[in-house]
Amino acid sequence: MSAGGGHAAGSHERSHPTVRQYVLIGLLLTVITIVELAASYTPGLGVLLIPILVVLSAIKFAIVVAYFMHLRFEDALLTRLFVFGFVLAGAILIALLALFWGDPAVINR
Amino acid sequence: MAQASHAAAAPHSSTGIDSRKVLMWIFLASECLFFGSLIATYLVFKGDIPLPPAGFLEDHTDHGVVTGWFPTDRVIDGIEYKGVLSIPITSASTFVLLMSSVAMVLAVYGAQNGRPKMMKLWLLGTMLLGIIFLGFQVFEFHEFGAHGLNLATNQFGASFFVLTGFHGAHVTVGVLMLGSMLLASMRRTGLGPEAGFHVETIGLYWHFVDIVWIVIFTVVYLIPA
Repeated sequence: MSAGGGHAAGSHERSHPTVRQYVLIGLLLTVITIVELAASYTPGLGVLLIPILVVLSAIKFAIVVAYFMHLRFEDALLTRLFVFGFVLAGAILIALLALFWGDPAVINR
Repeated sequence: MAQASHAAAAPHSSTGIDSRKVLMWIFLASECLFFGSLIATYLVFKGDIPLPPAGFLEDHTDHGVVTGWFPTDRVIDGIEYKGVLSIPITSASTFVLLMSSVAMVLAVYGAQNGRPKMMKLWLLGTMLLGIIFLGFQVFEFHEFGAHGLNLATNQFGASFFVLTGFHGAHVTVGVLMLGSMLLASMRRTGLGPEAGFHVETIGLYWHFVDIVWIVIFTVVYLIPA
């Protein structure tokens, strides 16, 4: 059970990264960004380009949330709260695109 | 360990988690909805930008090339359009914001481990990197304006400026919070016994601003129209 003081104390058992690990994570994020850039300039990727960019972006997103925002080390309740908002945002994004993508009444206003 | 002592000193709540931290995460979750809607709006308009009216073509054609209408280069009906987005410049600002996140997490580390000098140094570093990022954004907005793209030019301009402008406003708020935190840490009493918690909470906001930019950078700049 995630709620309860016992679990909150337990969630701190996993130690946070060290300074060296934080710097290494920063380097990893930089490398992923460079790969993203290289992919966007690489001709011939075709339909693979967008999935590649989305996956790399998602990896960066997850690394920052898990390690810099310490969600990996926090109570599961906080993860659930954030994931709920994130999934809802994704659903709204998909709904808006489904409703208005390519709609001439919107595009040509 | 300071982290453990903070956990022990946290006010009692039914969840066992400091309610202020829960509130911050709820706020960040709501911000996901806010930026998700703005990104969706941008994508709708980016997908199919209508051709510019004749008046715009007359005013913004230089040596046969039209500027300030489309995000990326293209040729339509024999007319060459120069895109306004500059990936190299935005890549530099993206790097700056990523590094500001590293600086922020080091400030949190310093605050939670009883190292006030380290905390102040990296708070200052984070703030400066945030200001540099805002400088890049001001430069970009100015360049777009010089090429004829503004909020009222077309739907791409409107959705672009609203999306990146709101992100810039969030960075500005973050810089102000970091500045006030830095000033408060200069007091004789410092940030008090909850220094680690306060810096961590501002850090959560700052990292969120960073992850929003990670998405914007990919959606707006890297994914072709």
